[in-house]
Amino acid sequence: MNANAEELELKDRLSLIESMIAEGRRTTESWGWTFLLWGVAYYVAIAWSAFGQPAIAWPVTMTVGGVLTSVLAARVRGNQPGTTVGRAMMAIWTCMGISLFILMMSLGITGRLELHLGAAIVAAMLGTANATSSIILKWKMQFASAVVWWAAMVAALFTSEFATGIVFLVAIFFCQIVFGIYCMISESRRHKARASGQEASHA
Amino acid sequence: MPELPELNPVIHGKLRLALLSLLIGVEEAEFTWLRSKTGSTDGNLGAQLLKLEEAGYVAVEKKFVQRKPQTLYRMTETGRKALTAYVHALKQLLGTAIGA
Repeated sequence: MNANAEELELKDRLSLIESMIAEGRRTTESWGWTFLLWGVAYYVAIAWSAFGQPAIAWPVTMTVGGVLTSVLAARVRGNQPGTTVGRAMMAIWTCMGISLFILMMSLGITGRLELHLGAAIVAAMLGTANATSSIILKWKMQFASAVVWWAAMVAALFTSEFATGIVFLVAIFFCQIVFGIYCMISESRRHKARASGQEASHA
Repeated sequence: MPELPELNPVIHGKLRLALLSLLIGVEEAEFTWLRSKTGSTDGNLGAQLLKLEEAGYVAVEKKFVQRKPQTLYRMTETGRKALTAYVHALKQLLGTAIGA
């Protein structure tokens, strides 16, 4: 083999390593639907507790939301490999959800749940989870969501019960519904771009 | 003139190199995912993965998920070190080839 052919082969190997590492790290995980699902779940729980049975509205809706999320996540993931970033995201949101569920259940059972404080705790935890995710993913839009939740947390402690309710409904709309739809649209665009890129490279 | 490094023959095979490069970016991967990313046949992929397993570069785990068999591969610490050493050697050789 002459020197030029050898150099080409070495370059080819190096390029293969780079492309395969990029391919392995290329995540096809889609999480926009979870924001939307939980946004709808919060609205269902709020409506159910306002007009129906407040004692069971939140625990039942949150449990159903949790089960639905796990089942759909397993289906969406398929045979995609797990990445460290994916596991970090799952850890943040699962731990936040479990903490929130146990805390709210305990406060509810002991009769110590107060609207202002309860709303502030929920907003603070959602703000923390969104901010942590956004820093790991380097995603400014999600950090904006965290800021909205933190603002809702402060508002919950300084405003009337009615205003706290309105602030919460608005925060859910922007941080769950609008942000969820935005995520789904950008994920769909990203997947389409990748698919067309792969078609071009296979052509 | 410094002695040129030798490239690890276990890693140097194109498919094996592709497999290790894929596995370094993920925690673990299914056989079917590796097949789709490399475009390899089941037989060839299985044989190359076995060579990497025998060299201690990948670990395999077989399990059943919803009654379906699933084979998961993950890179070992030895595999990670071997790939890193291979890349260093490759860059050194390439530098020499370009400089020649």
